[in-house]
Amino acid sequence: MSWLRRVTARFPTVVLARRNLSRATARTTLAVVAIVIGVVAIGTIGAGGEAFKQDQMEAYEGFGGTATVSPVYYQNDDGDIVGGISDKDVSRMRQVTSGATVHPVIERWDTVVRTSSGETSPSAQVKGLAALGTFYEAQSGSIPDSWRQQVVVGSRFADNNDVETGDQLTVTINGSFERTFRVAAVLEPQGFADQLQADRSVFLPFDRLSQLEDSDSKYGSVIVRVDPQTGSIDEAAESLETEFNTRRRTIAVSEVQEQRERFSQTFEMINQFLIGVGSISLLVAAVTIANTMLMTAIEREREIGVMRAVGYPKRAVVSLLLAEATILGLVGAAIGVPLALGIGMGLNQFLVGDPLAFTAAGLRYVGLGALFGVLTSLFAGVYPAWKSANKRPVEALE
Amino acid sequence: MRWDISDSEEAEPTEPAEAGREDLPSDAASLAGDLILRGEDVTKEYQTGTQTVRALKGIDFGIAPSDFVAIVGPSGSGKSTLLNLLGLLDVPTDGAVSLRGQDVSTFSDADRTRKRKRAIGFVFQSFYLIPTLTALENVEMPRMLDKTPVKTRERAKTLLQRVGLGDRLDHYPDELSGGQKQRVAIARSLINDPALLLADEPTGNLDRDTGDEILALFDELRAEEDVAIVTVTHDAYVAEEADRVVNLVDGVIEDTGETAADGGHGA
Repeated sequence: MSWLRRVTARFPTVVLARRNLSRATARTTLAVVAIVIGVVAIGTIGAGGEAFKQDQMEAYEGFGGTATVSPVYYQNDDGDIVGGISDKDVSRMRQVTSGATVHPVIERWDTVVRTSSGETSPSAQVKGLAALGTFYEAQSGSIPDSWRQQVVVGSRFADNNDVETGDQLTVTINGSFERTFRVAAVLEPQGFADQLQADRSVFLPFDRLSQLEDSDSKYGSVIVRVDPQTGSIDEAAESLETEFNTRRRTIAVSEVQEQRERFSQTFEMINQFLIGVGSISLLVAAVTIANTMLMTAIEREREIGVMRAVGYPKRAVVSLLLAEATILGLVGAAIGVPLALGIGMGLNQFLVGDPLAFTAAGLRYVGLGALFGVLTSLFAGVYPAWKSANKRPVEALE
Repeated sequence: MRWDISDSEEAEPTEPAEAGREDLPSDAASLAGDLILRGEDVTKEYQTGTQTVRALKGIDFGIAPSDFVAIVGPSGSGKSTLLNLLGLLDVPTDGAVSLRGQDVSTFSDADRTRKRKRAIGFVFQSFYLIPTLTALENVEMPRMLDKTPVKTRERAKTLLQRVGLGDRLDHYPDELSGGQKQRVAIARSLINDPALLLADEPTGNLDRDTGDEILALFDELRAEEDVAIVTVTHDAYVAEEADRVVNLVDGVIEDTGETAADGGHGA
């Protein structure tokens, strides 16, 4: 007796189940395909969603222990809109948040950016931030520490306008200031969750922009950063609230960590919803398998009657049919998992730029898809198996 | 073997049965201990819609080792019902069937399945082999769930050799002729060394020569292993071979007759 037979003889139910499945190849294949679709749907949506999330989350990298402060505008008694953040406000911020670094950001909306080919880019946002290099990394070129004749551009701006490191950009502000800058660096893509929307921005030297501002409250926002090792961003945010918002709410403080969590939660919900939609395909697969197993049970009624007659207990018949259903699920999962991983690799390449950028959470969804696939099959087999086993052999053999 | 007639009429179904039991000679009482299967005043009713059909109307029977009983009768006479009762596939509505002295009605479904496996072999008219299993595997099938694959395989090989299919072990049912399939089915019915073999039209789908082989095989089994054989048949030729013929008409036994073949196998 061969070793193979010795092994298989230990699992006679599995052997019988596999043989039975092989007799209706087309039906078996269709049932497996249904499971594969379900497993792939859940696995791909889950893993792809996680890759997308990871991609967007990267925007928060470099913003740990950071809060953004934006001005609250209001109408004064004369009916004028007032508000904004001035140099004085920035100094007060530096005072009340001892230990934190405070980076004011200038945003100009009255600008025109022209590339060397003469095209203008209407969507470009011109900004000034002194310590740019502490927040972002360059994908090409390098972010200068102090600069006067150069600009740094976001990835999307660079893509849309065919701008590369070393190119010339002409920036006109308020119709009066016009100057040509050399592109020193293109930033890494940041995603839409980025604090400063850096992807579509053109960063001018901070001092240049600062000189152009004639209004007192010239800053569009302020980034406050605390080294998490030595201080707490929560305390800094609280100090700012106390200092600026006690009498009237003049600033809004938003901790990046909180934004990140909100984003993460929102995203999680969307992803879960999509996976829920994907799970419907498994439900359909369950119906298919239940149908397959019912047909099998009816077709083999006499055969099962004979098995019961020659001494197979009900339990054995149930096990046999459940084994068949489970094999369908296992085969479906075995095909579905590599497929889901393959499609996931494509999504990773597309979204994160690295085919192997699977997150643990993403892989968990693939595993979950496989598990659900098998359980769905098993569950779908219960009724046909029960029905089959409870058919009296006398009736089955008539 | 004893095959008691019980002419139960509609009016008083119990009385003739009582009479039948009193008929048992005292030595038959001790004989009753040897009986594989015994039925007393066995009645079986079916519910079809609002009607109650009495398929068996109080019959008595006893089957001893190496008996060969042929049950004959027109269709609808209760033959299949009787065979089902003999095979512990069903329980009587009234009366008692006992397997080696134990009342079958006291068994749970699982018990009956277990006893059936141990004591009774089935041969069906349409063979009912499993198409995805080889001849050898089909013979092993009833014992496949037992954790004795080596022993089972040896036994199955021996049985197939015995029925003359030693060279067809790895053939699938669709590669076998009708007679070969029936021989595989008989080998399958013997895998658990049953005391009783129930054969429903065992030669029904076979030509005369092949039928002869099957009958010869039955004789051999009775002579060598004391297997009792009960067969339902339309085939007068098979009935002639039996050492007792039970003529079932409309749920009652009309008459029985010992045939020439009752050469010492009967009790």
